[in-house]
Amino acid sequence: MIFETLISQMPYLAHGLAVAIGLLVCLLSLGLVLGLILAILEVYGHWSLRLACVAFERVFRGIPAIVLLLLFYYGVTDYIDMGSFTAAVLALGLRSAAYQSQIFRGAFLSVPIGQMMAARAMGMNKLQAIRDIVLPQALRMSIGPWTNEFSSELKATSLAYVIGVVELTRQAKYIISNTQGNILIVFGVVALMYFVVNRAGNWALYRLENRLALPGFEHRGDA
Amino acid sequence: MLLRVENIHKSYGAVEILKGVSFEMAPGQSKVIMGPSGTGKSTLLRCVNHLSPPDQGRIFVEGEELTAKNLNTMRQKVAFVFQDFNLFTHLRTVENVAIGPRKLRGFSKSAALDLAYKELDRVGLSDRADAYPAELSGGQQQRASIARALAMEPKLILFDEPTSALDPELTGEVVSVMNKLASEGMTMLVVSHEIGFARKAADEVIFMEGGKIIEQGPPSQLFEAPQQDRTRAFLNVIEHGGDA
Amino acid sequence: MSAWLDFAMEHLPYVLEGLPTTLGLWISAMAIGAVLGLALAWARIYGNRPIYAIATVYVEIFRGTPMLVQMLFIYLGLPEIGITFDPLTAAIIAIGLNTAAYQAEYLRGAVRSVPAGQMTAARALGMGKFQAFTTIILPQALRRVIPQWSNEAILELKYTSIAYAIGVTEITARAEKIGYETFQFFEVFLLIAAIYVVMTSVVAQLLQLLEKKVAVPGL
Ligand SMILES: Nc1ncnc2c1ncn2[C@@H]1O[C@H](COP(=O)(O)OP(=O)(O)O)[C@@H](O)[C@H]1O
Ligand SMILES: [Mg+2]
Repeated sequence: MIFETLISQMPYLAHGLAVAIGLLVCLLSLGLVLGLILAILEVYGHWSLRLACVAFERVFRGIPAIVLLLLFYYGVTDYIDMGSFTAAVLALGLRSAAYQSQIFRGAFLSVPIGQMMAARAMGMNKLQAIRDIVLPQALRMSIGPWTNEFSSELKATSLAYVIGVVELTRQAKYIISNTQGNILIVFGVVALMYFVVNRAGNWALYRLENRLALPGFEHRGDA
Repeated sequence: MLLRVENIHKSYGAVEILKGVSFEMAPGQSKVIMGPSGTGKSTLLRCVNHLSPPDQGRIFVEGEELTAKNLNTMRQKVAFVFQDFNLFTHLRTVENVAIGPRKLRGFSKSAALDLAYKELDRVGLSDRADAYPAELSGGQQQRASIARALAMEPKLILFDEPTSALDPELTGEVVSVMNKLASEGMTMLVVSHEIGFARKAADEVIFMEGGKIIEQGPPSQLFEAPQQDRTRAFLNVIEHGGDA
Repeated sequence: MSAWLDFAMEHLPYVLEGLPTTLGLWISAMAIGAVLGLALAWARIYGNRPIYAIATVYVEIFRGTPMLVQMLFIYLGLPEIGITFDPLTAAIIAIGLNTAAYQAEYLRGAVRSVPAGQMTAARALGMGKFQAFTTIILPQALRRVIPQWSNEAILELKYTSIAYAIGVTEITARAEKIGYETFQFFEVFLLIAAIYVVMTSVVAQLLQLLEKKVAVPGL
């Protein structure tokens, strides 16, 4: 009985999962690009830029994800027309940028200063040296900490529920309302889906980290 | 003149490190700079290619003054070999050597690699081309970094104590590469306390102390008959087991 | 800007009436998390196989799934088997169980970073395993865990806003209510955002003071 319900509702859950993953990919991409820019400006930029970046980070890390979602959904949509999905990408993506910039900044700072110096001494300009020499090394070192950010943002996608994005958690709620019950089992299955995606993502990132690891720098501890 | 260094002054904070240094180098010449630690030798070398821009004084390479504007093109003519190698960690040895021609000199990928293999051969490292820097010994890393410098086909190479980060048994392989370059006519400005190299390869030895040139001259003269007491005292230390 | 300030001043008192709920929720959950986290960390380090396995599964489940789902599970799901909570209690339990898993992991890391010689030395004095843990290892581990624990506390303070989703009238819920009454959503959520930024900054400062206060030379 319960399983019949579950099977009949599976397409909805699958669709919800697809939306959640879509949201995750969009927000992580936004966070990646913006986070990298913030980190580069903070490490190599003028002090005024650095100040602005730090302020951005402080603010976006200080506000709960839910409040950001509400702010962008109810608030910004008063001025700019956008759907709840876009609002969620912006709210969570900007927040993720603040967290990712911390990861990248740490990675940039841990690339030995001699690398930049040798690149500049060859005649590379600052941008070339960052792009061709420092960035490839920093990105490798970022994969480990970035895995945590991946997990944390996957879970954060469920919060888009509060602004009506029909992602996995919202689908679960609909199913419960429509089928009058099955609450434990539906949430159990939904939890399992998040769990599996999380594990799969972590595994893939771990594989990537190992594949890109440089000889002599393989395992920097599992912290 | 290939290089003209004119009255260089450089301070860090309130401390004046270089107090007016001038000298010239003709094409094909090799000069060795010696002097006690903390005297400003590295600072001088870094001023020559503006890794630390001088506060005062001018640098000319082939008659053209080095400025903030032409910095990156001029640096391609003046290569730098670091004490601690600074090979690019994420690139294989051959890629380390090829990246300059590829990214800065407009070479195609295959032309850059061809040149890189040629330069690696010159320093005796062809067989380690595919290794990452962390997989090389110190001496091999320094030879690779010399190959990286050579691949820029520079007019002048600056060496900052290229053997002092190496275990004694590994200095020989680097010194012999440098000897070879000098005999091939490469212009080299070398901070080093390797007396053997200075005697064999240098046209002139510069002795620095306290941010100034104290004495300079051909190695035979400077080593056999130093004019200054401080030069004599310093040579005494490095010849008799000091680790300067 | 000044219009917003007027608006903020007008509605601040109503929003702040939710502050005791927010802070109470936060402190209760952190306390549950600390106690349970300690037990879990113990189980993961010193427990026998079944205890280790149970603790590990617990930590993996709570860290691998969203807190909102956990909260809905407890608030909406458990009544199916006859366990019913009011929203606030459900939120405290959910956040507490969730943070316990994280706190356990930070503690475990900290305990592991205490040199093995400390335990050996304590045992050599004749202490039992548990006694050595509580009197020698734990005090050192707790000092080491403070920076991560502070981070976790600040994260959880922000997570209390999730309780809004099951109808706890903490500050975020109150802000939304004002939004519906005034239709000035942007203004009111900006106000609430500012409140959180101030709260998290203050808490961060306080925790830094604490960290300095309990610092031990060489640790
Ligand atoms: N970037 C810097 N900032 C401040 N002081 C420096 C810097 N680089 C070098 N110095 C100082 O300048 C002096 C000369 O250094 P250096 O040129 O490295 O000497 P040498 O290479 O002759 O041993 C030293 O006292 C050193 O501490
Ligand atoms: Mg030096």
